[in-house]
Amino acid sequence: MSYDRRGGYRRRYRDDYDDRRREPFETPEDKLKTAIIKLGEVDAIEELPRLQKQIQDHVPVNIAIVSEAFRIGVTEQPYKIPYYAALIRLLHEHPADSMGHAASPLGRLILEDFWKGFQAYLDKLAWREARLCIHFFAHLTVAQLISPESMVALLQAFTAVLDEFGVSHGRAKRAALCAAEGLMISGPGLRTLSPTNVTDIVSAIQAFNDTTGSAKWLVQPTVKVFSDEVMIDNGDEVQSEFLLFFSLLTPALQLLDTALFALKTLVDSDFKQTADSFPQPYANIPALDNELSQFVLPSVLVPPEIIELDALSNDADADDTAQVKKEEWPEYFLRLFDNDVSPDPNTPAGYAVRTALLDIISIFEVNRKECARLLLEYPKWNHPGSFKPKPGAPVPPEGENSPVPGKDWQLESTIIETILGAFLILPESSHKSVYYISLITELCKLSPSTVGPAVGKSIRKLYGALSEGLDVEAARRFAEWFAVHMSNFGFQWVWKEWVPDLALTVQHPRRTFMRRAIEFEIRLSYHDRILKTLPEPMQGPDAHTVPEQAPGPDYEYDDPANPHHDAAQSVLNLFRGRAKADDVIAHLDTLKTTLETTDDTEGNVDATVRSIAVQSLLNIGSRSFSHLLNAIERYLPLLRSLTSSGNTVESKAGILSTAAAFWRHNRQMVGIVFDKLMQYQIVDPTDVIAWTFANRAGGLDAFEWDLMRGALDKANGRVVIARRRVTALRKEDDDTRARAKAQAGAEEGGSAMEVDADANTKPEEVTDSPALATAIKAFTSLTREQRGALSRTLEGFVDCLGPNASDASANPNPHARTVVTESAWHNRANWDSDDWSAWETWGWYRQFCRAYSPYLRNYSNTLYTVSFARLDGSTDPATELLKKTWNVATGQDVS
Amino acid sequence: MAHVVSSLDQPSNYKDSQTRVDRQRQNDLLSKSTTLYIGNLSFYTTEEQIYELFTKCASPEDGGGIKRIIMGLDRNTRTPCGFCFVEYYTHAEALASMRYVSGTKLDERIIRCDLDLGYKEGRQFGRGKSGGQVRDEHRQDYDPGRGGWGAQAQRLEVERRREVEERYADAQDGPGAVAGGGGDWKDAEGAAPTEGKKRGRSPEDEGDDQRIVG
Repeated sequence: MSYDRRGGYRRRYRDDYDDRRREPFETPEDKLKTAIIKLGEVDAIEELPRLQKQIQDHVPVNIAIVSEAFRIGVTEQPYKIPYYAALIRLLHEHPADSMGHAASPLGRLILEDFWKGFQAYLDKLAWREARLCIHFFAHLTVAQLISPESMVALLQAFTAVLDEFGVSHGRAKRAALCAAEGLMISGPGLRTLSPTNVTDIVSAIQAFNDTTGSAKWLVQPTVKVFSDEVMIDNGDEVQSEFLLFFSLLTPALQLLDTALFALKTLVDSDFKQTADSFPQPYANIPALDNELSQFVLPSVLVPPEIIELDALSNDADADDTAQVKKEEWPEYFLRLFDNDVSPDPNTPAGYAVRTALLDIISIFEVNRKECARLLLEYPKWNHPGSFKPKPGAPVPPEGENSPVPGKDWQLESTIIETILGAFLILPESSHKSVYYISLITELCKLSPSTVGPAVGKSIRKLYGALSEGLDVEAARRFAEWFAVHMSNFGFQWVWKEWVPDLALTVQHPRRTFMRRAIEFEIRLSYHDRILKTLPEPMQGPDAHTVPEQAPGPDYEYDDPANPHHDAAQSVLNLFRGRAKADDVIAHLDTLKTTLETTDDTEGNVDATVRSIAVQSLLNIGSRSFSHLLNAIERYLPLLRSLTSSGNTVESKAGILSTAAAFWRHNRQMVGIVFDKLMQYQIVDPTDVIAWTFANRAGGLDAFEWDLMRGALDKANGRVVIARRRVTALRKEDDDTRARAKAQAGAEEGGSAMEVDADANTKPEEVTDSPALATAIKAFTSLTREQRGALSRTLEGFVDCLGPNASDASANPNPHARTVVTESAWHNRANWDSDDWSAWETWGWYRQFCRAYSPYLRNYSNTLYTVSFARLDGSTDPATELLKKTWNVATGQDVS
Repeated sequence: MAHVVSSLDQPSNYKDSQTRVDRQRQNDLLSKSTTLYIGNLSFYTTEEQIYELFTKCASPEDGGGIKRIIMGLDRNTRTPCGFCFVEYYTHAEALASMRYVSGTKLDERIIRCDLDLGYKEGRQFGRGKSGGQVRDEHRQDYDPGRGGWGAQAQRLEVERRREVEERYADAQDGPGAVAGGGGDWKDAEGAAPTEGKKRGRSPEDEGDDQRIVG
C-alpha cells in the first residue's frame, strides 16, 4: 500500500489547531441575552438590580430578545426561575420612560411575549418546558403580578386533561405534575380565592392517581412483588400504615404519590411551607401599588395528543417517528437514605429538591460534565442551610447559613440517590443507563472526597436491597453500573465485606449479583486483572463467584482423543487456507458420507457435521470480533447450506447450541455470536428465543434474559427499519406522482386546469413502485416475525412458570407456584437455589410484560389465545399471577 | 436545543487529514455519521472490551447495534496501535457515545471519541512514519499502556501482550479485507440471486474500487 509522504509534515502542527473556533462577534442584543441567561453566576440577588438596569437601559427596546432569554432561562435553568420572577417584578417598577414607550411596564411586555412562548411549548406538548413555565407563572402569582383567578384557570386546564376519555397514562401523569407543582408554588398567591379552587385541583389529581393501582403494582422496584394488593394509598388515614410498610430497607416512592403528599401538606398548612420549600427572592420587594395592573393569563386548552398514524396508511405524514410509542408507567424512585441524610420527597421541601435535581439531570443530558457541575452547585439556588456545607468550607457567621432544623441534608447523597432513582426506574429509564453511569463518574471526578463515599454507601444499600426483593431488572442495571463505575475507578471495591454472603445459596440474588458484577468487570478489563482485586475466599472454584480461567474459546475437536479430531482438522485447514465456501460445502458432503459409513458413534451424522463445521468456523473467528465477522461473511453460503436442508428449525437450534458450547466460558461472545447470526439471517430471533427456553437450566437467569432481549429487540428493530423504509418510499412515490401530475397539468395548459382540474385525476390507478412493493412485503414478513418472537417468548414463560400443558393441576416447575405467596416470601431466608431461580424467572416475566407492553398490546388477543387459553379455568396461583401480570401490562386491567 | 451549555456530541476538531472530501461534504457526512474514531486506547485493549463498553450506547430496538469494530493497526507490525473505529447502524448511537462514553475510561485509560466520516479501506493502518499513529510520534511521555515495557510487567501481563500482538498477524489489506458487519434484513427469496461476496454489506459501505491513500 502506498504511503503519501508529501503530506507527512505539511500540517503536522496545525492538525489540532486550525479549526479552533473564533469568538463569534456579539451584537449588543446578544450581550443582553447572554447577561439574562447568565443571571446569578455569582450571586443572583446582588445581580438583579444591575441586570434590571441593563435591560431597561438597552435601546432600542427589544422585547422579543429579552423574552426569548427569559424563556431559555426558565426552561433550561429551572433552578433560576424564582430569580427570573423577581427580575420580572423589578421590571414592573419603572414604566417605560419618556421615550414614549407606552404605559405598560417592561416586565408586563416581556410577560406578554413570554406567554406566546409558553403557548408554543404547549402546542408542541413539550411537557417539561410547559411545566417549568407554569413554575414561573406560579412564582409571579405569589409576587402578585399574575391574577390568581387566571392562575387557577391555567391549572384547571391541566386537571381537565385527567378527565379526558381514554387519556394515556403518560399524558395524564405529566398534566397532573404541571397542576400539582404549579399549585405548590402559587398556593400562597391564591389565598384570596375560595379554598374549593385549590381542593378541587388536589382531588382531581388524587382521583387520577387512584386509578393507577395495577400499573403501580407492575413497576414497583422492591416491595412485595407478588402481593395482590397495592399497598400504597395516599389517603391521610393510611399514612401511618404507609410509613410502617416502607420501614423496609429500601422503599420506593412514586413520583405522583410524593407530589400529592407534599401538596396536601402544603394545603393543610395554608401554604405556609411554600416559602420554606421554594425560594421567593421577590418576597422582599414591596407589592405593586396598583392591583389592577395584574397580568391575566389567557385561557388555554391543553391540545390533544397527536394520534400516531399508522405509517402504512396513506396519509401518514412522513417523519421518522417510526418508533413504537413507549408505554408510560408510574415512576418509582428508590429511596436509599434516611430523611436526615437526603430530603424526604413526601415533604414539600423534599419534593422541591427532588424535582429540581431531576430536571437538571434531564435538561443537561447533552453535557454530563456540565450537569455534574450544576448538580454540585445546586445548593446555591435553594435556601441557605438546606445542605451541609462542604467539609473544610469556612464556618459561616453566626445566624447565616446555619443549618435549618429538619434540613441540613447531605448534598452528594441526595444527588446520587436521585440519579440512581432515575436510573432504576422500571421498566426502563428515560435515558440510556450509561448516561446515569457516566454522570456519576463525572461527579466523582469533580469531588472525589465527597461523592465517593456517597457512591459507596449507595452501593451497599442497593446490595442490601437485593435480598429484600429488589426487582431483577433493577438488579441487572445495578450490576451494570457497578462494573462500569469500577472500571472508571481502578476496580477498587472492598469485596471483602461481602465474603460472608458466600454462605448464601448459589442462586441467592446477592450471589448472582457478585457473579454478574465480576463477569461484567472482566468483560471491561480482563480476567487476571479482576481476579487480583478479589479476596482469596472468592477466588476459588468452590466459591462459584469467578471463573477459574480467562474466558477463552472451547474448541471441542482440538483434543486428539476426540473421535472427530481428524475430520475437524481437515475442515479447519480448509478455513485456514481460505478455501472457497463451495469447496468447504463439497468437503462436508464427502465427510458426511464417510461418517455415515464408518462412524459408529451415537447420534445423527448431520448434527455431527454441522457441529464440526460451525465449531471450526468459530475457531477461525475466535481471535476477535472482527475475525468472527470475517469468518461469517466469508462463509455465509456455507452457513446457509447448514440450515437449508433437512429440519431447518432443528439445524438452527443446533448452530446456536454449537456456538453456545464453543463459547461456554465467555457469555459475552455467546451474545455477540447470536446477535450476528441473526444479523446475517442465519437464524431468526424466534430461533434464539426458542433455543433459550429449551436450553435453560431450570429457571431463566439474567444471562438468558439478555439473550432473549437481544432477540426481541432485533425483531422489533427490524420492524422499525422496515416501517421507516416504507414511509420514505411512499413519500417518494407520492412526490413522483405529484410531480407527474403537475407536469401533465402544465402541459395541458393553465386554462384547462382552471376549467376542470379534476378531469385528469379521477380514476387513476395508484400503483406502488417496485421498490415500495418490496418494502411493504418485507414489512409484512418482519411484522409476522415480530409477532412470532413475542408469542414464542410468552409461550416460553407460561410453560416455564405455569401448570403443565396436559395436566393443569401439575406444574412442571413446582417452585414457580410456591414462591409467589406472601408466606413463602417471608420464609425466603430458607429458600434454596430452585426457589430463587423460580423467583428470578417471575421477575423476567414481569419485565418482559411491562417493557414490551406496547408491542404486546398490538397482538394481545392473539397472544392470549395462544398462550393462556389452555389455562382457562385453572386456579393455580401461578396461572393467576401469569394472567394478572399479562392483563395489567396489556392494559386490560386498569382497576 | 441546549442554549446554556454546549452538547458533547458536536464534532470536534478531529478530522481525517487525508480525506479528499471538501469541508461542506464532510459536515454533511458527520451530521449523519454512524462511525466513531476512538483514540487513546491501550495497545492491549481488545475489540471485545470495546464492544462491551460501546454496546451500552446501542439501540437495537430502534434498528441499531454495533455493526463492526475496526482495530487500528501498526502498518508495519500489524499490531494494535491505540485507535479503532466503532461503526453503529444508526447516527443516534454514535451521538450517544459522544455524550456518554467519550472521556470515560476503558481498560483504565481515558478514551476519546470523535464522529468520523466513515471507514475507508486502508484507514485501519497507522499513518505515522514508524507505522503507528502520527499522534504518537509527538508523544513525549512514557506510556506503559501503549507499548512501553515497564519493568514491573508481570508474567501474566507479558502473556496477554504476546497474545494481543499475534492476534492481527493475519490482517490483510485490499478490498474486502475488513468485514461489513451485516446489513439490513433482506427477504430470503429476494436475496438469493444476489448472493456473493458483498452480501451483508450495506450500500453505504465504501466502494471497493475507490482507493484512498492511507
